[in-house]
Amino acid sequence: MKLHQLVLAASAALLSLGLAAAPQVGAPAPDFSVVDSKGANHKLSDFAGKNVVLEWTNHDCPFVKKHYQGNMQALQAEMQAQDVVWLSVISSAPGKQGHVSGTEADALTASRSALPTAVVFDESGTVGQAYDARTTPHMYVIDKAGVLQYMGGIDSIPSAKVDDIAKATPHFANAAKAVLSGEKPDPAITKPYGCSVKY
Amino acid sequence: MRSVIFLLLCCSVLIPAHAASSGWQTAKHLQAELISEYRQVSAGQQLQLALHFVPDEHWHTYWQNPGDSGLATSLSWQLPDGVTVGDIQWPVPQAIAVPPLMNYGFAGATVLLSDLNIAPDYAASSIDIQLQADWLVCEEVCIPAEAQLSLTLPVGSSAVVAADYAALFQQARQQLPQTLQANGRFDTSGGAFSATVDLPQPLQIEAFFVAAPELVDHAASQQINLQGNQLLLQQPLNTYFSGVAPQIELVLVTADAAYSVQLTQAGQGAAEILVTQGQQRDSALWLILLMAGAGGLILNLMPCVFPVLSLKALSIAANSAQQAQQQRDALFYSAGVVLSFVLLALLLIGLRAAGEAVGWGFQLQNPYLVALLVYLLFALGLSLSGVVQFGLGLMNTGGALATAKGGKGSFFTGVLAVVVASPCTAPFMGSALGYAVGQSAPVALLVFTALGLGMALPFLLLAFVPGFAKVLPKPGAWMDTLKQWLAYPLYLSAVWLLWVFGRQAGVDAQALLLIGVVCVAAACWLWGRRQLTQQGAATAIAVLLLLIIALALPALAPKPTVDNATAQTQTAAAHWQSWSAATLQQLRSEGKPVLVNMTADWCITCLVNERVALNTDSSKAALALYDVTYLKGDWTLRDAAITEYLRLYQRDGVPLYVLYWPGQPPQVLPQILTPDTLSQTLARLSRQPQS
Repeated sequence: MKLHQLVLAASAALLSLGLAAAPQVGAPAPDFSVVDSKGANHKLSDFAGKNVVLEWTNHDCPFVKKHYQGNMQALQAEMQAQDVVWLSVISSAPGKQGHVSGTEADALTASRSALPTAVVFDESGTVGQAYDARTTPHMYVIDKAGVLQYMGGIDSIPSAKVDDIAKATPHFANAAKAVLSGEKPDPAITKPYGCSVKY
Repeated sequence: MRSVIFLLLCCSVLIPAHAASSGWQTAKHLQAELISEYRQVSAGQQLQLALHFVPDEHWHTYWQNPGDSGLATSLSWQLPDGVTVGDIQWPVPQAIAVPPLMNYGFAGATVLLSDLNIAPDYAASSIDIQLQADWLVCEEVCIPAEAQLSLTLPVGSSAVVAADYAALFQQARQQLPQTLQANGRFDTSGGAFSATVDLPQPLQIEAFFVAAPELVDHAASQQINLQGNQLLLQQPLNTYFSGVAPQIELVLVTADAAYSVQLTQAGQGAAEILVTQGQQRDSALWLILLMAGAGGLILNLMPCVFPVLSLKALSIAANSAQQAQQQRDALFYSAGVVLSFVLLALLLIGLRAAGEAVGWGFQLQNPYLVALLVYLLFALGLSLSGVVQFGLGLMNTGGALATAKGGKGSFFTGVLAVVVASPCTAPFMGSALGYAVGQSAPVALLVFTALGLGMALPFLLLAFVPGFAKVLPKPGAWMDTLKQWLAYPLYLSAVWLLWVFGRQAGVDAQALLLIGVVCVAAACWLWGRRQLTQQGAATAIAVLLLLIIALALPALAPKPTVDNATAQTQTAAAHWQSWSAATLQQLRSEGKPVLVNMTADWCITCLVNERVALNTDSSKAALALYDVTYLKGDWTLRDAAITEYLRLYQRDGVPLYVLYWPGQPPQVLPQILTPDTLSQTLARLSRQPQS
């Protein structure tokens, strides 16, 4: 009888362990503290009053490469012009694909003419798991009040082909524009696609 | 790269036009080939095409729902007019864990089958099949790739099977889940994917795969419960869930087979599909019986039972010479135990069939029964202390058993053992026995029989296995000292029941019961003197009078007024309110989180849980932080509403802890709480998306 209860208790404990945190559109975005490629510290709360874009990235991922043929840079330029903070987040663990040093990250930014506000590191995966980031790329839009407004894919066609960008519905760009004009994105949640984040 | 393409082009040129295969195409970490089931086809025919993937070792491709990341393989066909192709027939996928993510896919070689239909009036002499396949192949890193595969099939008057590939097709068909004609519904309310499937026969399902993407949280644990032929499934919703088709495919996996079932979305207002944490899992009957037997064995160690039975055991050891009589005694004793348990079960089943809302533990819900048990335990204690000698051969030690009173005595010793054990069964095994009672009547009777056999087992072993009796120490004068020591666990058990009685009936009634206890003491003392001196009838009448007074006193006790009870509640209600179905309903409809605790004063587990996990500062802080209303239901006395509520959660006893979070299915907490259970569960629930 006791065994029965123990088994129940153990399975309940396993269940609660198995559940990761889940971000929620319309709720405050999880705060975080990260170091960028230049060694500077950033907290989400530092950017209160500004719209923030989080882009999970891994430069070796073919899906990331697809969008860095120009699409991502164009989006970054557009957001920069609107005073949006753009953080490229690297959650690759040390030794895994996409893990880079600060210098390498800066070199990548320069060679790709990328325009993020900062490239930040999340080697432990804490931030990635707090946001339930699954793929690279994986996009998030947080409004001036710190509320998560969009999470999901960069666009609607899950492929690694550059040609598909023009054919796809640009979910992320639409959502970012909606947030900039004070509206609720629709859809606010889409399917992220790409390589898995290398936690 | 160019040279590779050139080589490939050369290869495809070299392959004869009527081959059933496109030839192997080599991409990074994967080889692909398109094959036809027939090397010559005929008009009006339906046949299968196979896309054969052979990735490098440790690399995998993806299922139609690739899970948290990954990408399903997609096929795009170019076919002549009059020829059509069906969707991919997906083999049974595997769960590929990439913590913290979970993917569904295929490690190793995979064959994706598609049906090809040729119109009856197809006139051309051959069919040109062009396939563009897009896939993602991953080990830890992922390589997206595509290939153009082409195949030309000659059309003749008769079809010719591609014999070389017959085995491959045969094997591929075996990898497909079998279609199960079963009625299945699913629901996405309350933050979870829930499904019920009416199976044609019971199947031991080990895992399930939902084909719709972004529906379930793939990495979260799956709850799979079988109730008869009805399968209940639950898994939390995906963070990226944003809607689902009205009909979805579900793949059910058993140890050696897999089945495909179509689920339709349950309509609005459909009953909440309630799957609690493993409570409904059907254990095998033999396992339940084994556990019941073990529980019965443990009963022998309970403080109310051990003193009585250990002496009986020692007396058997003392009489190892008279084996035949011992064996007869042990059998009668076992019969007494088993019959008493069966009688209890029948009583319980009968009361429930008559519509009475009773559960296990009912024997402690009636104050008068509790009072009688106090008297019994106290009198047995006095007997061990040497104040009085009882019959039944129970208290005899040493050679006294030589004057055994035969089978009747042993039989009633068994009955007595069950009676003194009954207060102990409720707190320690209440919920498990309640579960048994909730099953069908034959199962319930079997479980109680197993419980009785488990309890009688030590005596059967002592009597029938000579080795066991030899292990016991030799009888001697020390046994009398032990006997006197063993009186104290009985006195303490009586004190515990006195406290329960006091909680039930109030302090005035408790005082009356204590007077009754004094009467019992006096009666035992008088009777003991009579046994020694063989005095006359006057003493016997006095004893009888005292016992009648003792029996009458608890019945005379004034009922505690309702005001009293609520006043008591109010003062103690620092952080909880009394449970009522209406209060709970109202709080839930207002969208407030609620914790329900069903408890009883005689439930030791409940009291321990409250002490270590619920009444702590950290739990109080967690309740305040999440603005949780804490409702407590008290089942110490019979309460039909609470019994009804317990039954809603397939329980028949306390404790029961249920957490209601707005927009989530009710969470049943484990029966044994740790100090962190509550705060952790609340933290987790508050993070889940609301639907």
